[in-house]
Amino acid sequence: MLVAILFWAFSAVLVGAALGVILARNAVHSVLFLVLCFFNAAVLWLLIEAEFLAIVLVLVYVGAVMVLFLFVVMMLDVDIEALREGFARNAPLGALIALIVVVELAYVLWVRRLGVELPGETAPLAQGASNTAEIGAVLYTQYAYPFQLAAMVLLIAIVAAISLTMRRRPGLKAQDVSRQVSVDPAERVRLVSMPPEREP
Amino acid sequence: MDFAAVCLMIVLAPLAAALVAGLGGRYVGRAGAHTVCIAGVAISFAGSAWILARMLGGAAVFNENVYTWGVSDGLAMNIGFLVDRLSALMMTVVSFVSLAVHVYTIGYMRDDPGYARFFAYISLFTFAMLMLVMSNNFLQLFFGWEGVGLVSYLLIGFWYKRPTAIFANYKAFIVNRIGDFAFIVAIAIIAAYMSSLDYTEVFQRIPRAIGHDLFLTPGEPSKVITVICVGLFIGAMGKSAQVPLHVWLPDSMEGPTPISALIHAATMVTAGIFMVARLSPLFEMSPDALHFIVVIGATTALFMGLLGLVNNDIKRVVAYSTLSQLGYMTAALGAGAYGAGIFHLMTHAFFKALLFLAAGSVIIAMHHEQDMRRMGGLRKYLPVTYWTCLVGALALIGFPGLSGFFSKDIIIEALHHSRTEGAGYAYWCALIGVFVTALYSFRLVFMTFHGRERMDEHTREHLHESPWVVTAPLIALAIPSIAIGWLTVGPVVFGDFFAGALAQAPDGPIVVLGEEFHGPAAFMLHAFGSPAVYLALAGVVAAWYLYLKRPELPDRIAARFSRTYRLLVNKYYFDWFNENVVAAGVRNFGTSLWKRGDETVIDGWLVNGSARAVAALSAAVRHVQSGYLYHYAFAMIIGLSLLLGWLLLRS
Amino acid sequence: MDVMPMILTMADVMPAAAEIFVAAAACVLLLVDALGGGRARGLAFVLAIAALAGAAWVSSTVGTDGRTVILWGHFVADPMGTVLKLFSYGAAALTLLYSREYLERRDLLKGEYLVLALCAVLGIQVIVSAGSFLSLYLGIEIMSLSLYAMVAFDRDDGVAAESAMKYFVLGAIASGALLYGISILYGVTGTFLIDGVAFAVAQGRAPDIGLLLGIAFIVVGVAFKFGAVPFHMWLPDVYHGAPTPVTLFVGSAPKIASFALAMRVLAEGLGGALDAWQDMLVVLAALSMAVGNLVAIAQTNIKRMLAYSTISHVGFILLGILAGNAAGYRAALFYTLTYVIMTTAAFGVVLWYSRKGFEADALDDYKGLNRRHPWFAFVMLLVMFGLAGVPPTVGFWAKLQVIAAVLDVRLTWLAAFAVLMSVIGAYYYLRVVKLMYFDEPVTAGQDESRFAVRLVLSLNGLAILALGLFPGYLLRLCEQVLR
Repeated sequence: MLVAILFWAFSAVLVGAALGVILARNAVHSVLFLVLCFFNAAVLWLLIEAEFLAIVLVLVYVGAVMVLFLFVVMMLDVDIEALREGFARNAPLGALIALIVVVELAYVLWVRRLGVELPGETAPLAQGASNTAEIGAVLYTQYAYPFQLAAMVLLIAIVAAISLTMRRRPGLKAQDVSRQVSVDPAERVRLVSMPPEREP
Repeated sequence: MDFAAVCLMIVLAPLAAALVAGLGGRYVGRAGAHTVCIAGVAISFAGSAWILARMLGGAAVFNENVYTWGVSDGLAMNIGFLVDRLSALMMTVVSFVSLAVHVYTIGYMRDDPGYARFFAYISLFTFAMLMLVMSNNFLQLFFGWEGVGLVSYLLIGFWYKRPTAIFANYKAFIVNRIGDFAFIVAIAIIAAYMSSLDYTEVFQRIPRAIGHDLFLTPGEPSKVITVICVGLFIGAMGKSAQVPLHVWLPDSMEGPTPISALIHAATMVTAGIFMVARLSPLFEMSPDALHFIVVIGATTALFMGLLGLVNNDIKRVVAYSTLSQLGYMTAALGAGAYGAGIFHLMTHAFFKALLFLAAGSVIIAMHHEQDMRRMGGLRKYLPVTYWTCLVGALALIGFPGLSGFFSKDIIIEALHHSRTEGAGYAYWCALIGVFVTALYSFRLVFMTFHGRERMDEHTREHLHESPWVVTAPLIALAIPSIAIGWLTVGPVVFGDFFAGALAQAPDGPIVVLGEEFHGPAAFMLHAFGSPAVYLALAGVVAAWYLYLKRPELPDRIAARFSRTYRLLVNKYYFDWFNENVVAAGVRNFGTSLWKRGDETVIDGWLVNGSARAVAALSAAVRHVQSGYLYHYAFAMIIGLSLLLGWLLLRS
Repeated sequence: MDVMPMILTMADVMPAAAEIFVAAAACVLLLVDALGGGRARGLAFVLAIAALAGAAWVSSTVGTDGRTVILWGHFVADPMGTVLKLFSYGAAALTLLYSREYLERRDLLKGEYLVLALCAVLGIQVIVSAGSFLSLYLGIEIMSLSLYAMVAFDRDDGVAAESAMKYFVLGAIASGALLYGISILYGVTGTFLIDGVAFAVAQGRAPDIGLLLGIAFIVVGVAFKFGAVPFHMWLPDVYHGAPTPVTLFVGSAPKIASFALAMRVLAEGLGGALDAWQDMLVVLAALSMAVGNLVAIAQTNIKRMLAYSTISHVGFILLGILAGNAAGYRAALFYTLTYVIMTTAAFGVVLWYSRKGFEADALDDYKGLNRRHPWFAFVMLLVMFGLAGVPPTVGFWAKLQVIAAVLDVRLTWLAAFAVLMSVIGAYYYLRVVKLMYFDEPVTAGQDESRFAVRLVLSLNGLAILALGLFPGYLLRLCEQVLR
């Protein structure tokens, strides 16, 4: 009973926060709403005894990713009003389509119940069972291949990010001491032999 | 060496040579082009000769597919070779004549700017002809058939800056199209009824077509087998220039002389004859088709020969004689004497190539003058050409002992004994044809080599015998023209040389003649009892009287029988009819389609209309393809929701 | 599921040796580039080509006739996979070869570019050999991420950056849809494994409505990767905006991956639910053929025109897949392979023709090409004939096969529509031929490319003709790998 109350409460906050992400007028607010989303999601995971995932979600997403996001948003100074231009014009059609999709999904999930019997209460984990160890066990055996592939995805992301951003801008005013020291006079001074100017 | 490899080598060597000379002509140069092409054809000839030797040595028939090009609905389309004695003989004849022509071309085309191109064409031609001859199925036959047609079009129009050459190659192409259309329709009917394109399978399945009727015209049934055979034969009429699809052949003389020899002696024109013989098991099943064939052949033999009497262009006379000889071959096929037809084809290949090349040699000497009225007395200037030409002419008229004598006499006898309906008519045509042949052949010889020298001074001063590359092939061809008949008549026609390759009715004319055959010498003696030899001699004497003794007489005769003369000079008005009735009618029809159908409906409504529609549509799509990211994302979501909604409504 | 031992031996991972090889090669290349700096460019390029050649050797060595499932069902090795992988290596190698001079001239030939290209190939390999939806999805991400970065590789080009952005965002939406579909499938069947899903569908254990929902989202993902209408919007912008070598890369090998994706998901996993997705593909195919062909006519930029042509060809490939039988899959495979050959040659000619400061991407640049470079005008003619489906070329056979497949399942109207659309399509392909052969040249250009490039490009073009004349070999190959 208590679990059910907690579930509905946190879920409601989660949905509200998600709406806040897309509706907030200020980008910084959107990011903060997203942080709220993650916290609520972490709580939901705790409710089904998935502590490891809950903690990782908070540590990685809230602790690292969202802080980075916040920096980016603040540094970029996004003109949110300009982005919203045209929102009003497209809003009715957008709302209609969104409504259709929602109705369709709701129909399948609620009316047809996705065609499957929903499982009831899950049995609580045995005392002393560690879901960290369990996740580790399957991650390095049964899911070793997808795990390695995920690692490749990260590697590619790093390579792509670095190759697209790290560069020497043309016209950058930077000092290169070694080049200054090893300069050759021939590169700097050009001797031109000219005929003496003639009298008009 | 196995047969498949040799067969592939035989067809691919000229193809490769053609590609090298045609595409790389600029790089290999003139000498390179002719070296490559001659080497290619020489390889083909060597291979063919080897195969023929093996066949004569009793090797088994080779019938194998080397590549499956495609299979559609159970109908296999293969590239394969059927090599038996018939095709081995044809391969050897084709590659030999082709080789001779290649060598001859070095001399004839020496100064032509299109030298490499020309060699590429004739090698390609050899390739196509060999594919046709060696095929074991109808599709490859058709490929070779069309390949030969295409290259002949290119060759007739080789001097593409001459309007007459362009006219002639169009004519050849279009007339052949008519025949080819019937040909492919026949192949389609075969595929429909026999579910196969392979010769052997089709022959086994002939009973499937017997007893079925097609309704080409409402209410009048035609036998399927007859429709097939007549369709195939109409194709042969185009290629082998039978009346009324013969009109392209005399005009094709616009091409260079080596081509006249190659197309008109050994290859393209014999394709039709070869095809009918190859498919003789089909033709044997249809007496109606044979009746049609024998009448067409005999008509061609006589009436085209008559045209040779009034022509003054040396090459055209030879061309008309080819038409006439093809008529003989066709008549033999119609009579059911396939072996005789092929035998005449073979002997004719040698002496006709000889005559063409001799004519070419004369033309070279005369600085490309072709009118016989401006020749005469060339005997002492061109001795080799004269003697070889005389051999060719004697062989052509069937002088006893020479090759043409055996083949032509057998045809006449076969017509006499044939039970095909219309063979009686054909027999008389053939007999009269012998006289006509002798007359025009010796008219040519006498007008060219004997009598008064009618050329101008300038030409006369430069007259001299052609170089060895021209005379060597002449001599090389003269030998078989003399001897090949004597040597091979026994085994080829009456022996079992073609056993299994050609169909043979048990009471066919060849069988009847075979019973009376006791060696070539006896055959010759026997021939003195028949009218053909005397008619030939009469023809020679008449030619001597008319063109040497009383040269003013022919003009008087022409004036006396002016109406007949005009009919002949105008070639029975075939060309007039084609140009003024057929072509004009088609042109009018086409113009009306163009004006009403094309300009109004297609251009006006469909093309411009659809262009307008497309322009409007793409403007609309441009609007959607706005470049805005959110439009794109939106379109995806809309697409998703529609797909989803539709699925849910359906389920 | 737990049939495999807990400890993997070498033999267990042997079928995945090619994937491991390419991943290792990418890492080595990265190190070579990092340590060698700018000097090792030539070496890096050679290494990249060598890596692809090595991968081809490994793949053909470990390739088997039968079907082997390893790594707890996440990896499948079968003949189709081997053939598709070999073709992807070939396409990628050709792409790099054609691109080299273009990239050098614009100072884009960096080690990272080659690393990303190899990673994209790795993604394709993973998709091709995916045994579970998880590895499939990860393969798609590996490939897509590499491609996004490659599109944006010319950092000073605003248009390229914009198209990379579009590609990235739309790709993310499509990935989201695919992932959502996969999760629904997991929900209704209880497994990530493609074989497991197929088994559940065959047993009738999967409820219809859940399956439908999952399939709908998955089809969206597949359609996006293919570029089928209405999920095609990224395609023209990306083809147009990306540097031409990247356009070539995006246009060639990933099409093989798209085909593999469709085969693994729709044919193998959801083959039992053919009724559910056939109609969706019918709509997508018809729309793709119509929009692709009609809009291509209005284009003046050859890259954009080829983009719309791609959309129309996708429609034809889908025709084969939606037939839902062995003949149809075979036809689609044949179409995909030949299409990759043709499109590689098409962009190869564009790359060959482009110079520094001259992109050769306007249709008008091709006016009178025959006058200046008759040989490559002829190659382009072969390509255009092939794409249009004119008989002596292989394009004809490809179209014939898919249309026959559609006729076999009694979708006559669709076959007729396909024929009509290919007639319309012929217009804009032949227009290029007309420009090349009958118009006066306007732009000059010297043939400065390397001999090897000219040779390979010529062979590439002639292959279109050779395969058209002798389609038997490739047809038999398709027949052997898809029984």
